[in-house]
Parts: sequence; structure tokens; C-alpha cells
Amino acid sequence: MMALDLRQNKHSDVSFEEKERLFDEVKADERWHHVLNGCFECGICVASCPSARFYDFSPRVITQAVSREDTDLIYTLMSDSIWDCSQCFSCDRCPRENSPGQIITIMREVAVKNGLQTAKKALEGYGRIIYKIMSTGSQVSPDMLQPDAFPDWGTHVYEIAENLEEWRKAIPPETLHTTETGWKIDKKTIIELYLIWHMTGVMDLIEGVDEGLFMILVDVMEERLEEAGYDDVTFD
Amino acid sequence: MAHENIKGCIILKDLLYSVKDNTWIKVDGDIVTIGMTDIAQGLAGPILHAKTKKPGTIRKKGRPIATVESGKWVGPVKSPVTGEIIEVNENLVSDAQLINRSPYKDGWVVKMKATNLGAEMSEMTTGDAAVEAYRQKIEQDGIECSHIDDSDTYD
Repeated sequence: MMALDLRQNKHSDVSFEEKERLFDEVKADERWHHVLNGCFECGICVASCPSARFYDFSPRVITQAVSREDTDLIYTLMSDSIWDCSQCFSCDRCPRENSPGQIITIMREVAVKNGLQTAKKALEGYGRIIYKIMSTGSQVSPDMLQPDAFPDWGTHVYEIAENLEEWRKAIPPETLHTTETGWKIDKKTIIELYLIWHMTGVMDLIEGVDEGLFMILVDVMEERLEEAGYDDVTFD
Repeated sequence: MAHENIKGCIILKDLLYSVKDNTWIKVDGDIVTIGMTDIAQGLAGPILHAKTKKPGTIRKKGRPIATVESGKWVGPVKSPVTGEIIEVNENLVSDAQLINRSPYKDGWVVKMKATNLGAEMSEMTTGDAAVEAYRQKIEQDGIECSHIDDSDTYD
């Protein structure tokens, strides 16, 4: 396991003003005052955190750093540690009603919005999942069970991947006889999702972190929106 | 066929490459066959779906001509040229892993009628220059190419 490097000057190539600007953006989030109340270091968050068991990660470090407004350390955490959180919010049991998990949600959003290199790297592995959700409206699909993507599924993942269509046909509801999506998606639903992502600026976020992913999503969405009569909706 | 093998990655010297986008082209008049490189298939891993744009689609250089999905990656095949897609490799619909097994031959992706070929070809790399460019890229990014069973072999 790599030890977390929390040296203050680790990111000396980034100006203090830039780090401060990013932290100001975190603090300006309207959720901010609901998720940070001050920490008396009881350690309940760390004890309940699954990521802390498997990674050099501590939700308490996050809460302490933002409470102290340690701008350098916050930038270091935004460039590394925040991506180790599994976002399960077990830490919400904090007796002071801090939520390190939600603090991290905000920090991640700021990292993505600002196109930080570490955000791009952290999200690389999720490209296919984001593509699947945003292009089809269905979350993780059966055909994601591939030996190279899910080696931890066990040795029988080879057999599952090879005979996926047969396995799926064995499930009674017809809506689940699919492999490329988790279930059959209604056309109206997917068009509504595309319009929501268009209007809320989600596509701009995607463009900032993964240009290739943005490109193929736009391709799929514009084609289907045009078919549905939304000729004037473009993402470029 | 003249080629180079760098860490398992095959580079054919007679093709033109867009090294940045990991695509190759083969030119016949103004008709261009486009495919993914051996490096690209190796990085993607076994490919599950390769969905091409329809024939008749006009594409500018750099825009996607296909979406490729593997177990661990999804991304575009970016067109190295500007023009109209006139033919797509229908075999990829039922057997997308043709790209893994034969990236430079049977696994071609689309054919395009190019409209700005002269200028765009001059931005591509071929021969020993392509080999050198890929050698740098492979070493810099720590790339090693692996191949699935029944892949084309080059001696």
C-alpha cells in the first residue's frame, strides 16, 4: 500500500492563490455549512470507514484539514485522498454531525469542474460506466462482467462472460433479457435524461475531464434527440 | 511486410499513422481505409462492441467514426481525415474482436472518401518516423501490447 504523502509543499508547482481559489469554491457550495461543524477527533468516522481499512485514507484528516483551512493540505487531499473514499457515508454517524463523505463530494465536484489532472486520472476507470449510464440510462450492465474488468468476480467470470446471453434468458422478466443494458429502457425515459443532462451542464463537466467520452456521448445523444424531434439541441 | 515489434506492439511501416489518436490509414486514390493500431487494441483489451457511424455520414478530421467498448474502456475512433464514410466493416457487428486479432487487416473500421487528403496526410507519420514516434510513446507511457488467441502474426 502506498503511504499517503501529505507534505505541505508537495504541489509547490501550483500557486497558493490557485489552491485558495479552489478551496473558496468548495466553501461557496450551498451544502458546505450543513456538512462541517468542527471535529473533536473521536475517530468514529475512521472506525466506521471501509476505505480506511483498505487504503491509507482517513475521513478525519479531511474534516481536520478543512476545519483548519489548511489550503496546501486541502489541495494535496483533492489531488489524491478524496478519490479513495467509497462515498458510502458511513461517516455520517459523526456525533458532531460532520459529514466527511459529503465534504468529499463537494471537493470532488470542484476537482472535476476545474479539470484537475487527478480528477481525470481517477475517473479514467469509470469511463465505460459513465458512458453506459449516460447513453442508455441503465447502470452497470451484464456485459461488463469481463475477466479483464472484473477479475475479483472469481474464476467463473470466464464462463459467465462467454455464455452471458443464455444466463440472461434464464431470468423470468423479459425486460431483463438484455446484455448491453441492465434492463430495457423506455425511449421516452432516455430522451428525458438526455435533456436533463443538456440543461444542467453535466455534459460540460464530462467535456472537461474526458474529451473522448464527451465526443461519443454527444454522437449518441444528438442522433437520438434528432430522431425524437429535438433538432435544435446541440452540445458543442 | 516491413514492420517493427516494440514491446509486443506491431507497427507496419507502409501505413500512415495519427500517433496521437492511435489510428492508421491506407490510401487508394481518394479512398482511405481507417483502423485502430495494434497499440490501441492492446490498450483497450478484448473489444466487446465496435459501433461505426452509418455510411453517408460526413465527418471532419478528429471527429468520431466509431465507438469502441471493451471490458475496461470505452472511447471514440477519431477520424484522421475529413470526408464521407462510404463503407463500414460489417463483420465488426458480430465479431468486434476482429480489431484485436487483426487490427491492420480484417479489423479495419471504415472506408472514407477523403476531401482534404493532401493536407491531412502531411500531418500523419509513416515508415521509420512512425516507428520512432511509437517507440517514444510506448516507452514514455509504459505500454506493452498483449494479443488474444488467433491474432495475426508478423515474422
